[in-house]
Amino acid sequence: MTHRRTHALIWIWTLFVVAVVYLPIACGALASFNKSRYFGFPVKAYATDWWEKTLDSIEIGMIVRNSILIALLVTVLSVLIATFGALAFARYDWKGRRLYQKLIMLPIFFPQPVLGLAMLLGFSAVGIQTSWMTAVFAHLVWVVPVVTLVIAIQVYGFDPSLEEAAIDLGCSRLQVLREVTLPLLWPGIWSGMLFAFLLSWSNFPLSLYTAGADSTIPKWLYAKMVAGYTPMVPALGTMATLGAAALLLTGGLVGILVRRRTAS
Amino acid sequence: MFPTMTAPTAPARRPILQLVGVRKSFGGFHAVQGIDLDVREGEFLTIVGPSGSGKTTLLRMLAGMDSPSEGNITLHGERINDVPPNKRPTCLVFQSLALFPHKSVGENIAFPLKVKGVDAAARKARALELMAIVRLPETYHDKNVMKCSGGERQRVALARALAYDPEVLFFDEPLSAIDYKLKKTLEKELKDLHRETGKTFIYITHSLEEAMVMSDRIGVMRAGKLVQVGTPEEIYGAPVDRFVCEFVGEVNSIEVTRGADGGWSGVDVSGAFKVQPPQGIAEAGAPDRAFIVIRPEYMRVLGPGESADNRVEGVVYNEYSLGSRIQYQVRVNARDGGEKVMLVELSRARALPAGAEPRVTLGWDATDAFTLRG
Repeated sequence: MTHRRTHALIWIWTLFVVAVVYLPIACGALASFNKSRYFGFPVKAYATDWWEKTLDSIEIGMIVRNSILIALLVTVLSVLIATFGALAFARYDWKGRRLYQKLIMLPIFFPQPVLGLAMLLGFSAVGIQTSWMTAVFAHLVWVVPVVTLVIAIQVYGFDPSLEEAAIDLGCSRLQVLREVTLPLLWPGIWSGMLFAFLLSWSNFPLSLYTAGADSTIPKWLYAKMVAGYTPMVPALGTMATLGAAALLLTGGLVGILVRRRTAS
Repeated sequence: MFPTMTAPTAPARRPILQLVGVRKSFGGFHAVQGIDLDVREGEFLTIVGPSGSGKTTLLRMLAGMDSPSEGNITLHGERINDVPPNKRPTCLVFQSLALFPHKSVGENIAFPLKVKGVDAAARKARALELMAIVRLPETYHDKNVMKCSGGERQRVALARALAYDPEVLFFDEPLSAIDYKLKKTLEKELKDLHRETGKTFIYITHSLEEAMVMSDRIGVMRAGKLVQVGTPEEIYGAPVDRFVCEFVGEVNSIEVTRGADGGWSGVDVSGAFKVQPPQGIAEAGAPDRAFIVIRPEYMRVLGPGESADNRVEGVVYNEYSLGSRIQYQVRVNARDGGEKVMLVELSRARALPAGAEPRVTLGWDATDAFTLRG
């Protein structure tokens, strides 16, 4: 009897948490299907007009392209830097490693608006015009530490004698990397890639300060909320959320499939 | 392409590996402190010692993962101190085995061949050949190596090392995590494999039992030094000092001094003892100290009318079954008024009858004991 009651309580609590987390997203989606231009609940008439307008908009097309381009570049660069950074972080013993371990983590804890402002000031001090390229740099400052940590966790679970054994069996450094290190770090690198893309995709404060005249999805959403709201705002917001969810789902599935193939 | 494995015709006994004055320090810590050793081609040499004695450091230098701080290591007369592991014709079987978890049994075994650029068909053929040698069923070729049992993994690691076709194989306690019965089987298989391949094996362990079963020669290490190198019989029968002696097994030791008359008397156990003079102690001259060491299996329980060179009275207070033998713990009176425990091992056939009088007389002949310098 008590067992059933605990079971019921667990269910009620879980549903409550899920509702609190997902209801606002559902509200955004509902608002985007409003036929009227103005925001208001309950929605009187539903229509897909604003979704069509959003998809047709040339301006939004450019913004989405910016966001994708920035996120892709951040993904590739941060994984490259973080993979070797994680080996330095977790695998090799060198003088100054402990200091490096602390320094590399610090940017995660800086308030992002402060970090963004600092970089904007820095860019103008050295005379660099801000654009999507400077935004890539700014995102990297924040994303590389996170991805380093994600990959470092994988490195910690890695028996160092595997690399020694590979060398002992005749491998060159490059062969060790290709045959042993990278395949074993692959799950960490894969999650690191997903993290990097999604963190860049949804980042607002750094883009606001450092993207200059170029806009990204979060930056555009903010600008339109401040002035010029249309239901295209929740429509694009919902699309961005669904896109992120789809990417996460695909990433997870690929991970499972790869693991299953190597296991069999 | 592959050298065939044939039984060697009387292994050549010239040195393959030579160590001269090899030392290794890490900061202020001297892990290996001057080792001279000739490893003969085709022999099974085991380095045995307690943990922290420097045996793993020594092995890592031989395998090329560390280089000596001082001294020289030569292979076929050529200095190899700084030759990296991938340029040495040697291969190490790690304590952790270091099997690649993302590769199948076959891929693990054929790994050194893949590195050399051997094509897939030849790799598979050789992997299957090696699997037969280490007694792994053919069906295991595509099995995930992480799904293999402990003993199977040992065999995969061994086959992978053989695939590299090294002249010298090193083993860093690969059997330490294996249960007793399987360990005995694998020890015998390793010994057979050594004979069949004719390669030089250098094995490291803290277990003397393992060393005794497999080795042609044993080197005992303590605190970074090789204390004694010899055949298992030499190590067991003629240990150079108390450390080796006690390392080799449980022993009874009695401290003795030599009086002005040349006779020996006990320091911790009272009595006069007849001993074989230890090497290096002058026959005549000033009194000197020594230890008499008697292995429990050489100690006898004397019946009425039986005689021995030396006798000690004591009381049996404990007995343990060792399987085919029984060990008795006997308290004897120590000279300082305390008690000293002596061990006696008897075969079951000669065991003391149940309910027998616990007072016994222990005895041994001088020739059944060693005398070591104090």
